[in-house]
Amino acid sequence: MDALEASMKISGAGLEAQSSRLRVVAENMANARSTGPVAGANPYVRKTVTFANELDRATGAELVHVGAVGVDRSPFRVEHDPGNPAADKNGNVKFPNVNILTEVADMREANRAYEANLQVMKQTRDLLTMTIDLLKGSQ
Amino acid sequence: MIGLVPGIVASVASSSGVSALGGAAKSAAASSVDGTSFSQVLDQLTTGVIDKVKSSEAASIAGVQGKASAQQVVDEIMSAERALQTAIAVRDKAVGAYQEISRMTI
Repeated sequence: MDALEASMKISGAGLEAQSSRLRVVAENMANARSTGPVAGANPYVRKTVTFANELDRATGAELVHVGAVGVDRSPFRVEHDPGNPAADKNGNVKFPNVNILTEVADMREANRAYEANLQVMKQTRDLLTMTIDLLKGSQ
Repeated sequence: MIGLVPGIVASVASSSGVSALGGAAKSAAASSVDGTSFSQVLDQLTTGVIDKVKSSEAASIAGVQGKASAQQVVDEIMSAERALQTAIAVRDKAVGAYQEISRMTI
């Protein structure tokens, strides 16, 4: 397959991978204060995303895809809040192990990576268009 | 002189890598041997492009229904647009060459 067409495919896979990463960040952020359903139960567990490379047989290109969405095993944040429905008998509530700062940093990184892939796509499209335009205007 | 037209088609299709034109280009290159007519070449060219545009429209409908991601829809539409641009450029060039021949003084 044409190298420029292959670059388009690769960048497209990059866009999809980065958007799933952003989706996981959104889940973590939205559930940053989600407690367990019953007293003393475990709250929402932070999700992590890993990427893997994948050979596309049709083009021979190395695409990227989401390898696995795992969970963060770090301990939960415990706060003393006896009025909370999820508080255990000592009045402690387990909150998710989500750090908003980490999530914001991850979000910005996903954003930058998405922009970079988009830029590659734009450049590739410009090159293809310029090549096709060689045929025009010389009649 | 006639061999020039399929030659253009073949070189353009292979350099731009548009898969829809692949079939047309191959048969066009062979036309000097087995006698594929000029209209057949253009016909194959358009059929390939129409297929590509159809698949891009199917992708946009799937996108509206939420079955395909925005990236997939954009990718399909852009590839159809490229195929169309290539076909238009090749057609203009080929028709230009044909008219050149028909204007030739005998």
